[in-house]
Amino acid sequence: MLARALSGTVFGLDGVRVEVEANIADGLPGFHIVGLGDRALQEARERVKIAINNSGFEFPGRKVTINLAPAQLPKEGSGFDLAMAAAIVNACQERGLPGDAAWLGELALDGTLRAVRGTLAIVAHLDRLGVRRFYVPSANVAEAKIATAATVVGVDHLRQLKAHWESGEPLEASSVAQSSSANPPAHVDLADIHGQPYAKRALEVAAAGAHHLLLVGPPGTGKTLLARALPGIMPPLNRRDAVEVTSIASCVGMLPAGAGLLEVPPFRAPHHSISPAALVGGGGAAPRPGEVTRAHRGVLFMDEITEFRRDALEALRQPLEEGRLAVARSRGHAVLPARFILVAASNPCPCGFAGDPRRLCECTPLERQRYRARLSGPIRDRIDLQVMVPRQAAGELLRTAPAAEPSATVRERVIGARARQRERRPQGPWNGALTGPQLRRDAPLDAQGQALLEAAAERLQLSGRAVHRVQRVARTIADLEGCSDIEQAPVAEALQYRESG
Amino acid sequence: MNLVWLSDPDYPARLKQIHDPPARLFVNGQLPSEPMIAIVGSRHATPYGRRTAQRLARDLSDAGVVVVSGLARGIDAAAHRGALEGRSPTVAVMATGLDRIYPPEHAELAQAIAASGAVITEAENGTLPLPGRFPVRNRIISGLSLGVVVVEAAQRSGALITARMAGEQGREVFCVPGSIENPLAVGGHQLIKDGAKLVQTVEDVLEEFADLARARARAQARVHAHTRARTRADSGPQEPELFAVWELLDWVEPRHHDELAVMMNLDVKEVSRRLTLLEMSGYIIGDCGAVTRCSPA
Repeated sequence: MLARALSGTVFGLDGVRVEVEANIADGLPGFHIVGLGDRALQEARERVKIAINNSGFEFPGRKVTINLAPAQLPKEGSGFDLAMAAAIVNACQERGLPGDAAWLGELALDGTLRAVRGTLAIVAHLDRLGVRRFYVPSANVAEAKIATAATVVGVDHLRQLKAHWESGEPLEASSVAQSSSANPPAHVDLADIHGQPYAKRALEVAAAGAHHLLLVGPPGTGKTLLARALPGIMPPLNRRDAVEVTSIASCVGMLPAGAGLLEVPPFRAPHHSISPAALVGGGGAAPRPGEVTRAHRGVLFMDEITEFRRDALEALRQPLEEGRLAVARSRGHAVLPARFILVAASNPCPCGFAGDPRRLCECTPLERQRYRARLSGPIRDRIDLQVMVPRQAAGELLRTAPAAEPSATVRERVIGARARQRERRPQGPWNGALTGPQLRRDAPLDAQGQALLEAAAERLQLSGRAVHRVQRVARTIADLEGCSDIEQAPVAEALQYRESG
Repeated sequence: MNLVWLSDPDYPARLKQIHDPPARLFVNGQLPSEPMIAIVGSRHATPYGRRTAQRLARDLSDAGVVVVSGLARGIDAAAHRGALEGRSPTVAVMATGLDRIYPPEHAELAQAIAASGAVITEAENGTLPLPGRFPVRNRIISGLSLGVVVVEAAQRSGALITARMAGEQGREVFCVPGSIENPLAVGGHQLIKDGAKLVQTVEDVLEEFADLARARARAQARVHAHTRARTRADSGPQEPELFAVWELLDWVEPRHHDELAVMMNLDVKEVSRRLTLLEMSGYIIGDCGAVTRCSPA
C-alpha cells in the first residue's frame, strides 16, 4: 500500500518540489521518515500521528515509512505535515492522490493547520511545474494566490478533508481577495519631524535616485526618525518587486498571517552587535537570507554604523556593489537578492561634538581619523550622500516652525524622478548605481555645470570617485526638477552632500 | 643623520645664547642659517587656528624667515605645512629620537621638512614620547628663534611654556587673538594682557626686528595684496543673492544649512546652491555641514 502526495520546501529563496511517499506494510508497528530531514521533520512523526488520530482517522498500527524525494536534498521545517498525513491516510485506504495537487501545512496535535514559511515561493515553483490544485493552511491562502491562478483551497482542520477523500466531496476553493495588505505598516511622516530641512532634502534625493546615505550627527538629533521616514517617500513597489519582497518575507517568516502582497518597501534596522552571517546571509548548513536580503527593494538602516563589527561591515561590500549576494554553505549555495538603500548613521567623532557650535570637540585628529576609518573606503565610496544632522536648540524645538511637507507630496516628486530614470534606462539601474561610463551618457552637464564641477574638483581636491558621486547626485536632483541636462544649480546643491572632514 | 656639538661652528648661534643649550643636536637634513621665528599652539586647534597658523607660516617663509615648530598635531603641523608652501625651509624640533617620529602620522611631513630644512632633537635614537620631554624640547624651539608666535593655547598648555621660556631667554612673544568664547584663546589672551604683541599679519611680527628689514620689505607687497583681498572679503560678495547668505554668516561661529534656511525663509536646496557658490569663490568654508566666513588665503 503506497500513496504519493506532492509538497515543497524552500532552499535559499527558491521553491523546490518534494514528493512525499507513504508506504504501509506488515511488520512491527512503527513510523520512519527517510530523506534527509532535519530535527523538526523527525518530530513530525509525533505531530502527524496524533493529529491523524484526533481528526477522525485512525493511524495504522503497522509499519509506516515516509520517504521524501529527491532524497539527496536536505529538507527542513514542518511544512510537510499535511502531505504526510494525506499520504498516510490515503495509503491506508488504498486510494491514490491526484498527481496535480500539492499539500502544504503544519499540523497541530488537534488536527488544525498552521501557517508555513515560504508558501509563495513553493507555490510559484509548483505552479510552473503544472500543479493545478493547492491545499494550504487558510492563513497562507492570500499569499498562495499571488503566485498562482490555479485553485487554492484553504484548509483549517484535517477533519475537513475526511469527506473529500472518502466520498470525493468537492472542497470549496477559498475566495480570499487577491491582495489584502490594506493596512501598510505605519511609517514616520516627514511632516511630523520638526525642522531638519537639509536632512529631509537629502532623504528625498536618496529616495529618488536610490542613493546610499550617511547621516552624521551627535546622539539624540533624530537620525533614526529620519531614516524611518524614508520608506514612506519611496514609490510603492511595482507588482514584480512586490512579489519578490513578499516571497522573501514569507521565506524568512516575516509575513504576517493572512497577509497578501506587500506593497510598501521594507525597512530593516539591525542592531550593531549583529554577526556577519546574520547581516548578509549564511549561517547554518543551508544558505539563509540575512538582513540585507530582508531589506531588498527597501531600506537597510544601520544606526551607529561605526560600532558594527568590522567583518560585518566588510561583508556589505558585495551587496552594495552588485545588489545581490552569493552565499555558499556546506549544503549548497544560493544567490540572494539584496538591492537596498543603505541609510547609515554615525557620530561625527568619538566624543560626538565635532561641528557642534556650542560644544568643543576634544578628540585628537588621530582619534577622529581612526573613528572615520572604521567605515572603510570601499563602503564610503558607495555612499553618495552625506549630511550633518545638527542638534537643535531646545527653544527651537518648542517654537512652531513653518509647516513641513508631508511625505505624500515628497513621494509624488520622487515618483516623477524615478519615471524619468526609467525612460532613460528601461532595465538599467537607478541613478545611485550608475557607473562612470553610464554617467557620461546619462548625466550630460551644461557648460556652467561642467565649469563648476571642474572648479570644485580642483578647489576641494575631489577624487575621481568623489566627482562621480557628485555627478550621480546632480543627475537625481535634475530628475527631481524635470531637467534633462544638468545645469549649474543641481551640481551646486549636490556638492553640499559630499563627504566632509 | 648628523651630530652637531655645541663647539661646532655650525651649531645655531642663537641657541648658544640660552643658559642651558643642548650639548649636541641630532640633525636630519640641513640646519638653515636664515633668521628663525617659532609658531606654536594647541594640538586641538580649531579650523580658524590651523588656517591662521598656516597662512602666517607661509607669509613668513615667503619673506625669507625660517619657521620653527614642534611637529605636533594641530597648530604645529599647520605651521610646518604653511612654511613648506613658502620659499624658505622650516625646522621641526622633536622631543623624541630621530627614529621615532611622534605623532606617527607625521612621518611624511617630517620627511618633507628634512628635505629642504631640518628635523632636529637633542634626544638619542629610541627616546620615547614621554610627557617630561616636551617642556625640555620647548626651550630649543624658543632658543632657536628671534620670537615665538602663539596661535591657540588653552590655559596651562605646552605653547604657554614655550612662550614663557621665550620670555626668559629674552625673545619676543607674539600672539594671534581668537574669540573670547573660545577656550583655546584664553591662554593667548592672557599673554597679550601680560605684554605679548597682538598679531594680525606677518608685518606685525617682522616690524619688531631690525635685522628683518629686508624680509619685511619682501613681505609688504604680499601683505598689501592680502589686505586688499581682506577688504574684498570683508565687504562680502557682489551678487545680491550670495550676499544675502554671507551676511548671515559669522567669522567664528559656524552656522548650519537648516538655520540659514529658516533665517532666510528659503528652500534648503537653494541655500545649498548658494553656499557652494560662496565656497567656490572663497568667501566661506564648510566643516561638517556647518559654515563660517573666511578671508581668502
